[in-house]
Amino acid sequence: MTQAERPVLRRWTRHEYERLIDHGFLAEDDPVELLDGLLLVKEPQHSAHRTAVLLVAKAVERAFGEGWFVQTQSPIILGDRSEPEPDVCVVRGSPRDYVDAHPTRPALVVEVAQSGLRLARGRKAAAYARARIADYWIVNLVDRVLEVHREPARPGPARRHWGYAAIETLGADATITPFSAPSAGIPVADLLP
Amino acid sequence: MRSMASYEARTRRFSRAEYERLIDLGVFQPGEAIELIGGELMVAEPQGTAHYTAIRKTAKALEAAFGPGWEVRTEGPIGLDDDSEPEPDVAVVSGSPEDYSRAHPSRPALTVEVSESSLAVDRRHKGSLYARAGLADYWILNLVDRVLEVYREPAPDPAAPFGWRYTRREVFDASARVNALAAAGSSIPVSYLLP
Repeated sequence: MTQAERPVLRRWTRHEYERLIDHGFLAEDDPVELLDGLLLVKEPQHSAHRTAVLLVAKAVERAFGEGWFVQTQSPIILGDRSEPEPDVCVVRGSPRDYVDAHPTRPALVVEVAQSGLRLARGRKAAAYARARIADYWIVNLVDRVLEVHREPARPGPARRHWGYAAIETLGADATITPFSAPSAGIPVADLLP
Repeated sequence: MRSMASYEARTRRFSRAEYERLIDLGVFQPGEAIELIGGELMVAEPQGTAHYTAIRKTAKALEAAFGPGWEVRTEGPIGLDDDSEPEPDVAVVSGSPEDYSRAHPSRPALTVEVSESSLAVDRRHKGSLYARAGLADYWILNLVDRVLEVYREPAPDPAAPFGWRYTRREVFDASARVNALAAAGSSIPVSYLLP
């Protein structure tokens, strides 16, 4: 029989998560998000983090242009057990298209990470890859670089969990082209606080 | 530090009061085996036939050893502290069932976990949690090696998950007899506990 090395956490469904909110266990503005069934406490918002979120939102809004909109720190739905609130994501259409349900398939997801770098590269990357998010960026405030994650890959001999097969790290002097806005070029420097 | 430092990400913790409200509201699935351990909701070990048999045998042996004035509970909740409500496989508490109609017992005289896949967790995490609560007598019925592990004398240890651990550990095989701290003169054959 396999031995568990540490306690196994109980996973929540999205439906249960919504009941927790309805019953007042979680306030709308609680820094908690549901990721692969876990109620994760979000990274504290330092001023550099907030600045990066605003910079990224502005830059990707310009890059994507008409027919897209940008939401910041708002929920998206990725299956039955994940309702994360990425720092920035780009969604097709207009906000009114999502009056009745949160968006499910953003064209680009961006997380700004400092103390949460391990989480952004680990569990979050796994959840986004599993949801087939084609373009996932981490604005790494520790090293002041942009990590671009592409090509979602399922678990197999090369990896234990879902992840991205192509990961590129870009310095402040580089330019990034979003997967779904192939004619745009965003200087990485514009994303860094 | 009350958190389990080994987790890469922090999860939302629940107090025991919140946990009991979640149960009352029917948020969990019927019959779901979960425990609140240090604010985190843990999935309990699945019940195999050997596991369940061991629980029943242990409960019967302890009922005989402790006698009147004691209540032997199986997989019943223990109101251990503000953020823990474990359900040990077997727990011996003083009094009778009615004594706990309004609040779960909090300090069992003897706490037993039957361990197969959960052995490492029962030793390290549960052991630290029970030591922190000052439970004087903690037994692990180890089905992997078919022995009884007896843990006593809790003391602080910053390296333990909950800051405490048991400093005395004795291991008894099936041919040995064991006594419970709170049942003076008891002498229970370990073979009576093993499935």
